[in-house]
Amino acid sequence: MLAHTGLLSWSAKETDTAVDLRAVTDPSVDPLLPGGRALLGFVDHALTSPSVEAGRILEEELGPEALVMAATVIGNFQMMNRVADATGMPVGGGSRRRHAALIEDLGLDRYDHLEDTSP
Amino acid sequence: MTQLAPDLAARLETRWQKLGSVGARWSGTDRVAMIGEARAARRGDLPTGSLDEVTTRAVRAVAAHPASIRRQWVDSVVSDGLDHGSYVELVGVVARAVAIDTVFDSLGLEHLGLPEAATGTPTGEIDSRAGRVKAWVPMVGGASITQALSLVPAENAELEHLHGVLYLTFDEMADPRPDKALTRPQMELVAARTSAHNECFY
Repeated sequence: MLAHTGLLSWSAKETDTAVDLRAVTDPSVDPLLPGGRALLGFVDHALTSPSVEAGRILEEELGPEALVMAATVIGNFQMMNRVADATGMPVGGGSRRRHAALIEDLGLDRYDHLEDTSP
Repeated sequence: MTQLAPDLAARLETRWQKLGSVGARWSGTDRVAMIGEARAARRGDLPTGSLDEVTTRAVRAVAAHPASIRRQWVDSVVSDGLDHGSYVELVGVVARAVAIDTVFDSLGLEHLGLPEAATGTPTGEIDSRAGRVKAWVPMVGGASITQALSLVPAENAELEHLHGVLYLTFDEMADPRPDKALTRPQMELVAARTSAHNECFY
C-alpha cells in the first residue's frame, strides 16, 4: 500500500492532477480523480462481493476499456500483495522516512506486519 | 456482459496455461492441484485433499489470508518439508492464479478451466546466486519486489510477464503517462485501494 500510495502521489504531481490521498483508506473521502469514486466502488465490490452494478457505473463514467483495465489492475495487485506478504518483502528505512507523513496521515502503520525482515 | 478484447483474452490464456507447466520443484499435476486448492480456500471450502498437509497449508494461506503470514510461519513451512525453492514456486503459482481469477470475478465472467497439466519431471532450475536478504526467502541481488521470486528464475519471469499484461511492464513503471485506458493516477488509486483491502503494508 505504501509503495502505490506513494506512486499515486508522484503520478498526480507529474500529471498536474488533483488527488486526495486519504481516499485510499477512507471511503468517505472523494479522491478527486476523474471517475475516482466509481473506481473505488468497483474495487470495493470486486474484492468483497463482485457487482454488475459497480461495473456498470464505472463503465458509464470512464468507458468499457477503463472497466477492463481496472479489473486487470486489481488482479495484478492481488498477485503482488501476495508475493510481498509471502516473501516478507521489507519496506526499507529510507522509504519509511520518505513517506513518514503519508504513513502517519493515512494510518498505514496499522498494516505493518513486515517488521521482522532481518537477514 | 463485459467481454475481454481478443488480444487480452489470448494473453491471459497463455499465461494461465503456463501455470500447468512443469516447474523447478513441482510437477504440472501438483501445480494444477495448487490452483484447485487456492480456489477452494478463497471460496471458504474445506481442503480438497489433493496435496499433502504442508503444501495445502501453504497454498491456502497464500491464496486466502496472505496478510497473516509471518517469518515464523514461513520458517515452519520450510522446516515441515518445503524447501525454499518449493515454497517460492508455490507462491508464484498461487499468486498468479488468484490474479487471473480476480480479473474474471471482477467482470462477472466465468473462471477459466484448470490449465492442462504438462507431463515431465521438475527441472530443478534454482538460481544458485540467491542468498539471504532482508526478506524471508533467498533472492538474487538483494530484497526487491521485482526479484521476489528470483530463487526460481522461471517463476520470476512469469511474474514479470503477467505484471506487464495486467498493469505495466517493469520498464513502464517509471512512466507517469503510459498509453493505457486509465491514467497513471487512476491506476495507482486502484492499486493502493486493492492493497488496503489486502492489508498489505508494502
